[in-house]
Amino acid sequence: MQETILNDLKMPYCPGCGHTVANKSMSKALADLGLHPLDVIVVSDIGCTGLVDPLLTCHTIHGLHGRAVALAMGIRMGLEHPEKKIIALQGDGGATIGLQHLLEAARHNLDLTLVVQNNMVYGMTGGQTSGLSSTEFKEPDRPESAVPGYDICALAHNAGAAYTARTFIGKDTAELWKEALSTPGFSLIEIVEMCPAYGMRKVQELHDTADYESVVTRNPRTVGLPHRVSGRSLLDGMKPIERTCEAPLEGRLEIIVAGSAGEAIQSAGDLLSTAGITAGLSATKKGDYPITIGTGFSVAEVILSRQPIHYTGIDCPDIMIVISQDGLDKVRSRIGAHTLVIADTKLGPELAELAGEIGANGEIGANGATGANGATGPNGPTGASGLPGPPDLVTRDFRKTGGSKGAALAAIAFWLQDNGFLPIEALAEAASRHKHGDKMKVIIDKAVAA
Amino acid sequence: MTTVNERMVFLDGSRLIIEAMARAGAGAYIGYPITPVNWLFTGARQRIPIALEAPDEITALQWAAGFSSSGVFPVTASAFPGFALMIESINMSFMMELPMVIILAQRLGPSTGSATTSGQGDLLLLRGCISGGYSLPVFCPSNLNDCWDMAAASVHTAVNLRTPVVLLTSKEMVMTNQNMDISGLKEIERAERHMHEGNGEYKTYGVNGSLAPPFLPLGNELHQVRLNASTHDMDGITQKNSPEALDNTERLKNKIEDSIDEYTYFDHDREEGADTVILTYGISAEAAREAVGLLRAGGEPVSLLVMKTLLPVTPRIYELLEAYRNVVVVEENIVGLLRELLYGNRRHDRIHGVNKIGHMIAPQEIAEGVRQCRKPS
Repeated sequence: MQETILNDLKMPYCPGCGHTVANKSMSKALADLGLHPLDVIVVSDIGCTGLVDPLLTCHTIHGLHGRAVALAMGIRMGLEHPEKKIIALQGDGGATIGLQHLLEAARHNLDLTLVVQNNMVYGMTGGQTSGLSSTEFKEPDRPESAVPGYDICALAHNAGAAYTARTFIGKDTAELWKEALSTPGFSLIEIVEMCPAYGMRKVQELHDTADYESVVTRNPRTVGLPHRVSGRSLLDGMKPIERTCEAPLEGRLEIIVAGSAGEAIQSAGDLLSTAGITAGLSATKKGDYPITIGTGFSVAEVILSRQPIHYTGIDCPDIMIVISQDGLDKVRSRIGAHTLVIADTKLGPELAELAGEIGANGEIGANGATGANGATGPNGPTGASGLPGPPDLVTRDFRKTGGSKGAALAAIAFWLQDNGFLPIEALAEAASRHKHGDKMKVIIDKAVAA
Repeated sequence: MTTVNERMVFLDGSRLIIEAMARAGAGAYIGYPITPVNWLFTGARQRIPIALEAPDEITALQWAAGFSSSGVFPVTASAFPGFALMIESINMSFMMELPMVIILAQRLGPSTGSATTSGQGDLLLLRGCISGGYSLPVFCPSNLNDCWDMAAASVHTAVNLRTPVVLLTSKEMVMTNQNMDISGLKEIERAERHMHEGNGEYKTYGVNGSLAPPFLPLGNELHQVRLNASTHDMDGITQKNSPEALDNTERLKNKIEDSIDEYTYFDHDREEGADTVILTYGISAEAAREAVGLLRAGGEPVSLLVMKTLLPVTPRIYELLEAYRNVVVVEENIVGLLRELLYGNRRHDRIHGVNKIGHMIAPQEIAEGVRQCRKPS
């Protein structure tokens, strides 16, 4: 004898409740289709519809209110057996709170069946109406201005469901279940029911409302399946950075590169870091940019150090490379008295004024100014007097040398030549690893020659 | 000049976390986009066999639970705003005993806060996120090497204990590039679920003396599987408060707490004669390591304890801390979440904090905090 999906326990529903009939239809449909209970997974919601869970002889998963169809999607995507039937059971309350999940299931058209048993009410919690309730739902303390309910069949159909159907309780719905379960892709059945405790008392009243009509709709669509990749190692493909030269830097050097979005600031920061590693240093780099990554500032913070770097924060950098007004606006407050600023020519006047202000403030910076060529820094500041002084400022027309996308690189190359921390060869070596390495090398050469 | 066998690369914590989890057996990554987990998503798309974009974080967790119940190990990642949406579904997965990892990358709060600013403000949220006060195992990497080791530990612990596990990190860990010799990374074994075998009786939540029940996927041909997020007996049948169901619920607490020694990780850098220990975790740990260097170089003895298993709190942490006169708890929040987790709201003369928001805590600030607590009051 065919095993049925329902065991011998008494249905937990009130006399006259549509859920009892609906569950019997489900059992009949599965038996008619010749499905063994272990070929079926029922995903049930919180609410009266979910009370059937203990009566089921199939695989069951009883989750949260409103999430059954989302959970069912996860199961379908993870399951290796496409022939297994997945049924999600929800009430109208669950369909309301989880409406997004319903639309998503239809959009993906994964192979599963959702049955919404719409009795128009939150029966467990005192008779509140849901987003699927009829405007003619009768409760004495119901707000007067009833809002029309969602037509979830139309919503699901428009979102791409392979099959949707609405029917009324009172007749055997097994044929619809069979149709839904046999249709590849996402199928939805809305069964409009009565709750014997609330609202309408007679089946005829259901049929008399203008809010629901029996429908069947179809979308001929390919069944959805998640895309799978073979997955390649994120480490094996990384080309090791070989140490090809030696950096004279003994301590730690903090560098900020600032410009605008689209000016390759982040890749300049990466390149400088890679150059440092190439020369035997430790390096860290982090980017800062607004959420709108296509506009506004772009800042790269780079630390180079002879010793392993633990703390990756920078307050006042030793070196600041600024190539645009956006960048300057973002980082100007971080220029300290010991900072060597290398900037695009256009920013010269504003930076000169800023340097003067900083120099006048004896409290900022204690390292003294560095030489104009940047040949000294945190390892041995050589401010002539040893007293706080203004930050040093060097300006060049880096945009002319490197263009807008190469200005930051040009400024880095200009600074690196003969700076005593990191050989310029390291930058060229780092560039050679890059897909645009040839173009970068041209900019580096031009910057050095200039 | 390269050292033999060295593989020096320049990479971020996201890449290490995803690669480690993939090697440990992650079969699906489900994400809803949010800063700062952007690079985790990018890496997952290349590495994890199934990488999906969910329409919201509730869906992400529901899909994760679906994958896990069919035998695929899922990973997801978010920041506080998304994690907040996940909490009910994490409770569901905890109750159903579905293994998964949720990566929580902290950023500055409250609320949306500042998406690209680091923070350490979510520890007590994790301590309280399961209704009933049960702990989820929470791991926290303190540097790139930990990103590898703790990611693997997260997957293994989730599988062994059949539970959701949180990997707590922060923006600075997953979005900062650093050089690293990856030749020294440990081999990672694939985590295999303890499966029910044979045709004998199977109860979904029957444990037979072990901490967690053996697993069978939904849809298997042998036994009915009944997963349930409501209070349930060993068969997975909903019960109001039957003794068997309450025992089962109590087991959820016990399985996490009784096995704590199997997944407790910390670094204790003890200096002879030190009366003060810096206690920290996550992104503040690296600054603390530099602070220790600064203090010792100046002839000021100090020890350092970096917690990598944050929850549940192991008694071993107290045993270690008892040896010190002063404990300086360093964390990037102004409330002192780890301090409150360990010592409650009562003030203790020997417990001090170095706290800050909006910027990483600098080594000098930690060193100063240590000096302050040593001054006679």
